[in-house]
Amino acid sequence: MKGLKKSVAFVMAMALTVAAFTGCGAAKSESGSDTAQVIDGKKTFTFGDTTFNAENEEANIDPHDTYCGWACIRYGIGETLFKFNDNMELEPWVAESYENIDELTWQIVIKDGVTFSNGKTVDAAAVKACIEDLVAVHERAAGDLAIDTIEADGQTLTIKTTTPKPTLINYLCDPYGCVIDVEEGNADGIVVGTGPFVCTELVTSDHLKLVKNENYWNGDVKIDEATVLTISDGDTLALALQNGDIDAAYGMAYANYPLFENDDYVFTGTPTSRAFYCQMNYNSPVIKDDAVRQALAMGIDKEGFVNTLLNGYGYVGVGAFPDNFTFGGDVVKTDSYDPEAAKTLLEEAGWVDTDGDGIREKDGQTLTIRWISYPSRQELPLLAESAQATLKDIGFDIQLNVTADHGTIVAEKDTWDVYAAAFVTCGIGDPMYFFTTHCLDDSSKNRGSYHSDEIQKLAEEMNSTFDADARGDIAIKMQQQILDDNAFIFCSFLRMSMITKSNVTGLVAHPSDYYEFTADLDIE
Amino acid sequence: MNKKPTKKLIVFTILAAALILVSIFADRLCPYNPYAQDLSLSYNAPSAEHLMGTDTYGRDMFSRIIIGARASILSTLALVAIITMFGTAVGVICGYFGGRVDSVVMRISDLFLAFPGLVFALAVAALLGGGIINAVFALAVISWPKYSRVARSQTLSVKALSFIQAARLAGDSPVQIIVRHILPNILGPILVTSMLDIGTMMMELAGLSFLGLGAQPPIAEWGSMMSNGRSMLQTYPWVVLSPGFAIFVSVVIFNLLGDTVRDYLDPK
Repeated sequence: MKGLKKSVAFVMAMALTVAAFTGCGAAKSESGSDTAQVIDGKKTFTFGDTTFNAENEEANIDPHDTYCGWACIRYGIGETLFKFNDNMELEPWVAESYENIDELTWQIVIKDGVTFSNGKTVDAAAVKACIEDLVAVHERAAGDLAIDTIEADGQTLTIKTTTPKPTLINYLCDPYGCVIDVEEGNADGIVVGTGPFVCTELVTSDHLKLVKNENYWNGDVKIDEATVLTISDGDTLALALQNGDIDAAYGMAYANYPLFENDDYVFTGTPTSRAFYCQMNYNSPVIKDDAVRQALAMGIDKEGFVNTLLNGYGYVGVGAFPDNFTFGGDVVKTDSYDPEAAKTLLEEAGWVDTDGDGIREKDGQTLTIRWISYPSRQELPLLAESAQATLKDIGFDIQLNVTADHGTIVAEKDTWDVYAAAFVTCGIGDPMYFFTTHCLDDSSKNRGSYHSDEIQKLAEEMNSTFDADARGDIAIKMQQQILDDNAFIFCSFLRMSMITKSNVTGLVAHPSDYYEFTADLDIE
Repeated sequence: MNKKPTKKLIVFTILAAALILVSIFADRLCPYNPYAQDLSLSYNAPSAEHLMGTDTYGRDMFSRIIIGARASILSTLALVAIITMFGTAVGVICGYFGGRVDSVVMRISDLFLAFPGLVFALAVAALLGGGIINAVFALAVISWPKYSRVARSQTLSVKALSFIQAARLAGDSPVQIIVRHILPNILGPILVTSMLDIGTMMMELAGLSFLGLGAQPPIAEWGSMMSNGRSMLQTYPWVVLSPGFAIFVSVVIFNLLGDTVRDYLDPK
């Protein structure tokens, strides 16, 4: 009897589930034809974001705190002195112009008429106070900027650095460089900036409430009230957009894209320099074998990964930078996916499958690769599982460990062979950033102890080169060197996409991934 | 119910045996290699060629369900066998000898019973790291006390009967008494408990895998397959419904078998 009862209960549960989904279907068709979101005569906009949370070092919107500047600049609260255009070249924003007086001295002129959202005028003295506070409390910024002294005279700011910093202005465009009124303080992590929106309420990892900046210096803000909701689960985000809880979403899972590929929604996407790459561990005897690294590079089906697993929302990688940079894309060369050539290569290097289990051996050692990655970037587990299968055909035994605990594993020298990760290689529009963080002897993210005399030499040359084109040329040589060494495999670049309801305008994805909410944001 | 449900027992035993045979001979029954990826076949809907469609990596779902039976069903049976044997041994020893060992072991088992099962299993599995063996171990650690409770109480009641006294007077050693006289007499209730437990354990194992603490990729296991397909419920439903259906069918068969065995052995 108990069994029958159980079966009946199950059937009823199934019926309820089906009923629940029917509800979803109905809600979807209604939300598609939503009219303007006007409540009490105010235009409101709700945004769902997977990344605005403490785990991602974005606990609040104070740019002087870890990576919180990203939230400050994305949601239109703060603005930097200069900004990047779609080609990642500098253009004026809060500042009007800059001049490089000598190797150590920079003069920046602040625009007239820029005000903070509290009405105060932005002058050189206010910017000076902001930058001084930044370098005092933010270690990464202090290292990047290497500021010696700052002088303020009316609208003119003069910065002296301790060492030559060819990319000082680029670094000031990093989200930590948002100009904020430091006199206002940062109660509850809320700061006063110059952007089109003012923050009124902030609950870490939950939500952020914004209102229109009535004093905005650069045009009229069209949205009256905006809310940013932190929705960390991709499926929840999809449902929230489907049933109309949010008007736009950032961080949607690729598998859910087909739900929105219709007239009710609009995709805004742009190539970014967020690379999904594999880093080789030179401390591992297997990886030290040149043939093994080259075979790995030949054994990853980058095209299949991008076109199928990422639904085409990505770009196949060659070098460290995507092809919207003059020094990126196919200006460098590397081996393409070629399993047969990889097999031959391993065969010639002495890696042969002697016991018929499909895995190659050499001198009693099996061709086992410990592949470490992490799940918080949805692309990485997909890459891991697809590489595992294509490499197995070649004779590799790939042991996956995709874990949030990847940091502690990779910190040990002998517990891993390949580390697959994501990194914004050109976040400040200059190529040196990737090399200083990943490829030099003293780089903090040179996890696999890679060393190249050529790279060390080129890095020194780059550090004393001020001309952007010349820097680009050196960057091409450096990329080619790390590709020739097969020290890194660049699998793909992220196509950053936001999905909005079709009545939302003015929300446009930017290659830097910095700028989202602007005065142009509107909902019809 | 006065009549013993023999017919039902035969039917469910055949069904359960079929499931077990499928999992044992899984590699010969698969129409395709369950681990071979072919990205050009990604997300194909169910068809005559691919009965349950294909997943993200273009792998045949039907083959993966069959090979997944191995991880899901055989691990569950192994798990139930382990906890039945261990739990019974502990229970019989405690029940027969009593005394201080009995009190200490039973307090320990109380400790385990006081925790919500799956939550404790989660903690153990997280501590040990992913992997189907670790998941089985984690569930074994929390599930044995139930069996030791049953075995102990049965042992206590059997021990008081006169034929045990007789055996003792005849000079049988405790081991002889336990093996020859006690175990055969308490086996019924323990068998029923473990048969009824198979379905629950299968769900809990799938639950751990669903949360990423059980089977690791590329191993096909129903719980982890459901977890991977979770976000495709609206777009490619067969990726999540196929393993869900497999779990449903197996759990129902084993539960009905457990019920029938109970009715058969203990027709109250």
